[in-house]
Amino acid sequence: MSEKNSRRSFLRQGFGIAALSGLAATSASALSLQNPGRDAGEMRYVGDKNKHLVMVMDLRKCIGCQACTAACKVENKVPTSQYRTFVLETEIGEFPDVRKGFLPQLCNHCDNPSCVSVCPTGATFKRKDGVVVVDNTICWGCGYCLSACPYDKRYFNTKTKTADKCNFCVQRVDQGLLPACVETCVGGARVFGDMNDKTSEVYHLLHTFSTTVLKPEQGNKPQVFYIGLDNKINELLNSTQSLDDMVKKHDGIHAEWSKTLIKEM
Amino acid sequence: MNTLISSITPNIPWGIDVPNYFWFTGSSAAAFIISSFAHVFGMERYKPIAGFSLLMAFVLLVAAPLNLIDDLKQPGRVLNFFMYGWENFGTSPMKWGVILLMAYPVLIFFEAIYIYRPYFVKKMATLSGVSHTFYGLLTLGRMGMSQEDFDKDHRVGKLLGIIGIPLALCVHGYTGYILGVVHANALWHTPLMPILFLASAMVSGTGFLIVIIPIFQKFFTSMGSVNHDTMVDLAKLLALFIVIDLVIRFLWLTFAMPFNGEEKYLVYAFFELNFHEVLYVEYLLCLIIPMIVGFSALRNNFIVLYCAGILSVVGVWLFRWNTVIGGQSIPKSAPGFLHYSPDIFSQSSIVSIFSNWGILIALVCFILVIFPWDEEMVESYSKRVNHGK
Repeated sequence: MSEKNSRRSFLRQGFGIAALSGLAATSASALSLQNPGRDAGEMRYVGDKNKHLVMVMDLRKCIGCQACTAACKVENKVPTSQYRTFVLETEIGEFPDVRKGFLPQLCNHCDNPSCVSVCPTGATFKRKDGVVVVDNTICWGCGYCLSACPYDKRYFNTKTKTADKCNFCVQRVDQGLLPACVETCVGGARVFGDMNDKTSEVYHLLHTFSTTVLKPEQGNKPQVFYIGLDNKINELLNSTQSLDDMVKKHDGIHAEWSKTLIKEM
Repeated sequence: MNTLISSITPNIPWGIDVPNYFWFTGSSAAAFIISSFAHVFGMERYKPIAGFSLLMAFVLLVAAPLNLIDDLKQPGRVLNFFMYGWENFGTSPMKWGVILLMAYPVLIFFEAIYIYRPYFVKKMATLSGVSHTFYGLLTLGRMGMSQEDFDKDHRVGKLLGIIGIPLALCVHGYTGYILGVVHANALWHTPLMPILFLASAMVSGTGFLIVIIPIFQKFFTSMGSVNHDTMVDLAKLLALFIVIDLVIRFLWLTFAMPFNGEEKYLVYAFFELNFHEVLYVEYLLCLIIPMIVGFSALRNNFIVLYCAGILSVVGVWLFRWNTVIGGQSIPKSAPGFLHYSPDIFSQSSIVSIFSNWGILIALVCFILVIFPWDEEMVESYSKRVNHGK
């Protein structure tokens, strides 16, 4: 009898332990602090921890040709009417003292990205080399990161129906190539590289010229640095509307969100 | 003069579903607080509508998250929320907010079945078959009808109510928190946002009860008429909550505009753009007028009070709209304010909102058929009359 009992209790305990360990294993693989790609330590998720990738925009060399805008769309298959990078075109001053001003913009790959901390699914994160990326197989499209970005540099990709943005072309960078926008930049205004490499051009530029970032007061610590950024362009960002929008309005081009016509502020 | 020649129109994430969701959770929290006036604080004058308010809090909160799911671009990936990204628990209000959002209706449901247990037991005696078993399940197997059992129902109901009050405040407070933490948005970024949302929620929730209670008292109870005292009590509450709401809005707007840093220029521009809508519709018509009705003898006129209730409900919905949609219309890095016109069909569209309200109405009917709220309401009124004598 006691033998039977001990066999029964052995079986019971054995099943119990098996069930518990099975449950633990399932929940360990199902629940993640991060996301499966990062947990597996895949290169495209983690990046090179010895690097600190940044971009320098030398505005003295930008001619507003939008070659970067086009190259980015082709390289990253960005849907129609959506952009990961673009060049804002402005007119500064009044005739005859007038000149064109350009402001190339893209995701700032912030050191302290406000989009990452609010992501409820862990789909967006910063790699160890500083590049902020989105895993479009995880993102559920809640849009909190779009709201949290102070630079409006995220959008809902109409093909993948997830949050999307510039990823510094990591698919190229990880192969030792340059981002598409940098490679195509005719004036050499876009410079990309590793800040930790003292022989790199970005290191040289950042230590030779005075640079600034967009909206430093937001505390995001952007890693896209500008040489020769005129504060007049910065002020423009928060003020007038563009001639482009007026034309769109005039032509009756309608979108769910469109520019509203207001008087000059 | 400097001019912008070309830029792109930024992509804006949140549509009409989001203000509607905020309205639903807010009104739910308020209905729960009003039910707790009786269940937790023992204020007898609210006893007849306490059970009904609790059920309204439940249905509003069951219907509310559907707005969120509809606003997702990938609604099929809801499970990803529960499986990944837990390292952001402390920094993403959406992460912990959804946990609160799930716990809160469960708690209300249990409070409701404890409060209505004696009525379920009575109802069981008149039923047989599946309905009998169904109500048997709702009693959680407690069939006793002694004073001791009633005391236990009351005790557990009160305990759940006590836990529920902070939970209700958190469930709606977190929606304000979600917006308040976004430092990229000049209109949203204030620590007052959760409190502001709670204050306006109390207005919309009370307004909602003023609108819905008369319909059910008149047409679905044996009383056959609207209880005047209850309506007057609700009118006074409405006026009081509007005062609190206005005070907090005063603090918000003064700190956001005259006494703010660089952000004030954008906030000024925003209110300049929407000046007439905000001042005349949102403030004067939908807050000041209902407040005057609530504080004056006008509240004794049922039609006037009912209209004031409707106005306050609409006003808070407009406030949610102006905050969520308006905040997103402010330019961040491409100049010019944006204008939003929701699609008629598609996700987060006008049809989504009507569908959501349809679901709410269906849920109200469903829950009110199951719960013997009318019996409880009539009994509470008759007890009050007897007590008064």
